[in-house]
Parts: sequence; C-alpha cells; structure tokens
Amino acid sequence: MITVRNLSKSYNKVQVLSLESLDIPKGQSFGLVGNNGAGKTTFFSLLLDLIQPSSGFIKNKDILVNESEDWKPFTSSFIDESFLIGYLTAEEYFYFIGELRGQNKSDVDKLLSQFEDFFHDEILGKKKYLRDLSKGNQKKAGIVAALIGNPEVIILDEPFANLDPTTQIRLKQILKDLAEKQGVTVLISSHDLMHVTDVCERIVVLEKGEMVKDIATSEATLKELEEHFTSQSFS
Amino acid sequence: MIKQFISLEWKQFFRASYFQKGVAIKILLILGALYFGGIAILLGGGMFFIFKKTIPDIDPIVSVNNFIVYWMLFELIIRFFMQQLPVMNIKPLMIVPIKRSTIIHYLLGKTTISFFNFISLFLFLPFSIVLLVQGYPVVNVVFWFFSLMCITLVLNFLNFLINKSNAVFYILAPLFAVLIGLEYYEIFKISEPIGFVFNALYNNPFLAVVPILVLIGIYYVNFKFIRKGFYLDDTVSKKIKEVNASDLSWMNRFGSVAPFLKNDVKMISRNARPKQVIMMSFFFLFYGLFFFTQSVYIEEMPYVLAFAAMFITGGFLLSFGQLVPSWDSEYYKMLMSQNIPYRQYLESKWYLMVVAVAVSFILSTPYIYFGWDIYLMIAAGALFNIGLNTFITLFGGALNRVPIELNVKAKAFSNTNGFNPTQLLIALPKMLLPILIFFIPYQFISFNAGLIALALTGASGIIFKNFFLNKIESIYQKGKYKTIAAFSEKN
Repeated sequence: MITVRNLSKSYNKVQVLSLESLDIPKGQSFGLVGNNGAGKTTFFSLLLDLIQPSSGFIKNKDILVNESEDWKPFTSSFIDESFLIGYLTAEEYFYFIGELRGQNKSDVDKLLSQFEDFFHDEILGKKKYLRDLSKGNQKKAGIVAALIGNPEVIILDEPFANLDPTTQIRLKQILKDLAEKQGVTVLISSHDLMHVTDVCERIVVLEKGEMVKDIATSEATLKELEEHFTSQSFS
Repeated sequence: MIKQFISLEWKQFFRASYFQKGVAIKILLILGALYFGGIAILLGGGMFFIFKKTIPDIDPIVSVNNFIVYWMLFELIIRFFMQQLPVMNIKPLMIVPIKRSTIIHYLLGKTTISFFNFISLFLFLPFSIVLLVQGYPVVNVVFWFFSLMCITLVLNFLNFLINKSNAVFYILAPLFAVLIGLEYYEIFKISEPIGFVFNALYNNPFLAVVPILVLIGIYYVNFKFIRKGFYLDDTVSKKIKEVNASDLSWMNRFGSVAPFLKNDVKMISRNARPKQVIMMSFFFLFYGLFFFTQSVYIEEMPYVLAFAAMFITGGFLLSFGQLVPSWDSEYYKMLMSQNIPYRQYLESKWYLMVVAVAVSFILSTPYIYFGWDIYLMIAAGALFNIGLNTFITLFGGALNRVPIELNVKAKAFSNTNGFNPTQLLIALPKMLLPILIFFIPYQFISFNAGLIALALTGASGIIFKNFFLNKIESIYQKGKYKTIAAFSEKN
C-alpha cells in the first residue's frame, strides 16, 4: 500500500529523516516508535504531503503523494489539534468531514453510533464548540473523524496520548478491528510501548531519523523494545 | 521583579517568529507612529494661533477648553478600536512566587507607555509651551497641562475597563450614544458644562487634585477588576459559550462548494475577528456619501466616483477577501490532507465574495436618491468587483501567509496579523483599475461609455472565471508547503 524509497528530509542541512526503503502492505497495522525528535511526525507529515521531501519519494497506493492529490480520497489522518475546526461542534465537524468524503448525514450518524461508548457521552449533543472541549475529548473527536468515509489508510500521530484508560482500551480494539477485519492500513506512532505492541503487527523503531529496528510483533516484542530503549538511556 | 518582566517582554517581542519576518512592517508602523506623532506636535504648536484666528473674540485657552470634550471622545473611540491592550501570559506566572499585585501593577503600568497616551502629550505639550511663551500664568498652565495628562491616563484605564468588562461597555456605550445624540440635535449640550469645568480647572490650579483623585480611583477599580479575575477559571481559561446552531441546509443547492460555504458562514458568525470584518465592510456601504454629496466630483471628476462605486459594494471583498487562506490558518493542515481539491476551496471563497457583493449592491439601493447615473455606476462597480476584483483578491491571498487567530479581535497598530506590504501592493490595482477603465472611455467618448467599459470588464472576468481560477489554483499549489509551515507557527 505504502512504498517509501530513499526518503530524506533535512532542515538547514540537518537531516531529520532518512529512510532508505520501507514497504507497508495493505491491511497492516503499522507502529512507529522512537524518542522525541526521532522523526515520527516528520514521516507522517511527508506521507500527508504537508512538507516536501528533500530527496526520494513516498507512494500511497502507487500514487506519488507529492505530485498528485489522488491519494486524498482514501487516506485520512489525525495528527494534532490543528486538524480540528475549533468553531464547530463535534457533530458539525463530523458532518463537514463526511461531506468532504462523500458521506451523507445518515452515513455519518451510522458510523458515529458505533462510537457512543467511546465518546462517553461527553462529545455528542453537548452544544459545545470543539475549541471548548478538553484535550482528551478533542483527540477523541479527531480520531473518530479520521474514520469517516471508509478510508483505506489511516494515519494517527500519538493517538493514545491524553486519553483516559477506558478510552485507550477501546481505541486499541477499534484500531485492531480496522486492520484485521476491514483491511485498513493503520499507521500509528506512540511513546507507549505497551499500546503499540498490543495494536500493531509490525513495529518500526526510529532513531535520529533512521530506522534501527523493524519487528514483526510477537510475545517477545515488548521486552525487546524495552531493552532497546533502556540501553538508549545508558549509552 | 519588574526587571525580569521587562526582559521577558523583550524576548517575547524579538523572538516571535513574525517579528523576524515582519521587520518591514515594523518599520512601516514606526513611520506611521512618527507621522501621527509629528502631526500631533505640529497641531499642538499651531493650535493656539488657529483658534486665535478663527475665533478671535475668545481667548484660545477658553476655546480649547470648550472643545476639549470632543477630543477626549475621539481619543476614547480611537483607543477602543485601535489600542492593543497588554496581554501578558500570566498562566506560567501564577504558580511561581511573585505577588499577584506586582504582576497587576506591572500590567497596568505597561498600558501607560502606549503610543495613544503620547498623542495627547504631543498635542498638549507644545500647546502649553506656546501658552507660556505668550505670557500666560505659569502655575495655571502647568497645572492645567498636568490635569490633562491625568485625564489621558484616566481614558487609558477607562478603555481597559470598557474592553475587558462587558458590563462597563454596555453601560457606557448607550450613555455616550445618548449624550452625543443630545449634543448633535442641540437638545442638551453636554460640551458646555464640560467646557465650563475645564475653564474652572484652568483658572483654579488647586482643582488639579480632582483629576488626580479620579486617576487613582480608576486605577484602583482596574486593579480590583484584574485581581478578581486572576484565577485560571476566569481570565486564563476561555469562557465556554453555548452554540448558536442554525440550519444552513438550504445552502446545499450550491453543490460541491456547499460544505465550504456552510463552514465559512459558521466561521464568520462564531468568531470575533471575522465579525469585526463584517462590521467594517458594512461601513464601506456609506463610503459613497463622502463623494456623491460633493458636486465637485460629480461635475468635474466623475472618474473618482468609479472608485467610490467600487468601494460601496466591495467592502467585504476587500476586508475579508484579502485574508483568504488566513481565515482557515488554524486548521489548514487538516484541509490540506483532507479530500479537498484546492480548486473547490477557492471557488467557495469566490462565491462567498460574489454573494457579499450582491448583498451590498442590494443594500446600496438608496443611492438612487443621488440619481440613476450614480446608481448605474455602483452597478458597474459591483460587476467589476465580481468579475475582476474577486480574482485579484484571491491571487493576493496566495501571497498572504500570516496566520490569524480567529477568536481574537484585531487591534490596529500593535497587531500586525494579516497585514503586510504585499497586501498593500495587491490592493492598489483593485482600487486604481476601475478608475482607469472608467476614465479612458469617459475622457474620449462619454460618461456612459465609461460605465459600459467598467461593466463589460467585469462581465468578461466572469466569462473567464475558470481560466482565472485555474491560474490562481496553480499559484496556491506552488506555495502550499510554505503556507502550511507559516500557518503552523503559533504566535
């Protein structure tokens, strides 16, 4: 589904990302871990064509993301709060995104009804603007909005941060289902090793912009990751 | 402590990303400040002689005292609309060991070094010097000047209250409106007793104690006001407003651009900054009154009217349109990664401007009073706005990369958001072109030929709409990354 070749990004000659080759097949749940500044968000931004690569390219379903916009209809994402429109209520925002993705109101309502427990009664029908919601609730709204319109690729940056434990557990279930049952390619990044190992079948560790580990998740993965990051703190 | 505050401010000012880019703007603003300051000094120096010449029977100081209330009202209004009140990021300061009162005193103290306070100084200091040179009694003049400075500061703090407290605003605004109305219709002239008071102030220097007491009083009120709000749940955290949802589904008839249009309507109706712009564009409607009431323009320079006609229907276009991508700066990244062709986005903004021009045109119907010629001219101006100015504006937007905080009111001078020299350059053709297009056929053929030329240019613009939009789209596309990067910088 996603092909990365010789991708690099530098700012003022300082390289922040350099990926020689990475292929993410359709329906894979793909996790990206790494310390701050490892290049996770940079990679996602490149994937969404929000920044320009210094060299190399990314193909999303054989579409060069920085040359054509045709990847947009089947790709959705939530990177940070700037993806929300602050002066809309959650419902209005969902319908807006729905309209952009060719879904009518009832389609969106149907999707939303699956997430009632996820919302915990704090988001829908509250007559509050998104900008007035708490960080966690904003995040929930953003994540659910990224699920609207049956996307084939979903990109979520730090989806677990700021969420309460109940929601974290529920989100893990949702993400797993998406990849396993619906064949959606899910890309997430996280600082929480436990969550990533729970959700993702493949985990890539970035370090200073470079890929240092590429693991197919197994029982031993969490331990491996923990050891990796522990050794980091001593080196 | 104060020293540290100042160093913080200094860093905030010079390290802000927009500062580094906006040096040109800063220079422009400084030039502007120098200009107005200079005018104030000149006026202050000349005021004595002007009054002496125009009202020779009355002592100039008495005349000044009689008129001073207008100046103060003017000053207060200008302050209300333009003065940027100091916002200090108090959240991080709340948990460190600094006395709250220190912070508040600092905050209030900072407002006194505003440019607006100096205007009064620049105006009345030269005037007072002239008075002294002319041999007026020193004690009286000095105390009078001193009182005026106190009153300037009172206005400064009053403005603070009006801006920050709705209650004060809603009490004072109608009060002022009523007083101005009574004055204007000469029912009760409030300026007379006030003039009397100022003359008394001049004649009895010891009365200067009154403005000082008022100043202390209003400072205290301000202090209390801020002190009361010095908690996270009041001032720092935002007030949560109930949603005013209205059904906009009728807009669905606009087809593929409907979602954007609906969104823009919500954006405008729910945020402070765009509301302000709408207000402004409403005032543009009255712009014609300046021109159409002067026979000079109608008889000798009708090409200037083309300019006025363009302005009447172009208020929204000019003020809203020039900030086009900036309105969506807060969530631009999302729009760019969402399933939106740039083209549709631009087209929806185009429709919005067209609708605004049409509405302004309907509202300008009363101008028929000035004659059909004038009204036809407004119509031609409206067509020109729709056909050409919309595209010029959108084109200009491609070069505009200043993020806007939607729910924060803009204040001129200190707030350079969404203002840059490129915008000024882009604004020139919008205003000069209609004059030119009208002028040439008018000069060589007739008034009507000028009108037709103006209207036809507009109409041809509409015919070439797709061509223009495609061109503009490619320009936006080229600047996309730069725009995203600029918009994601928070200031």
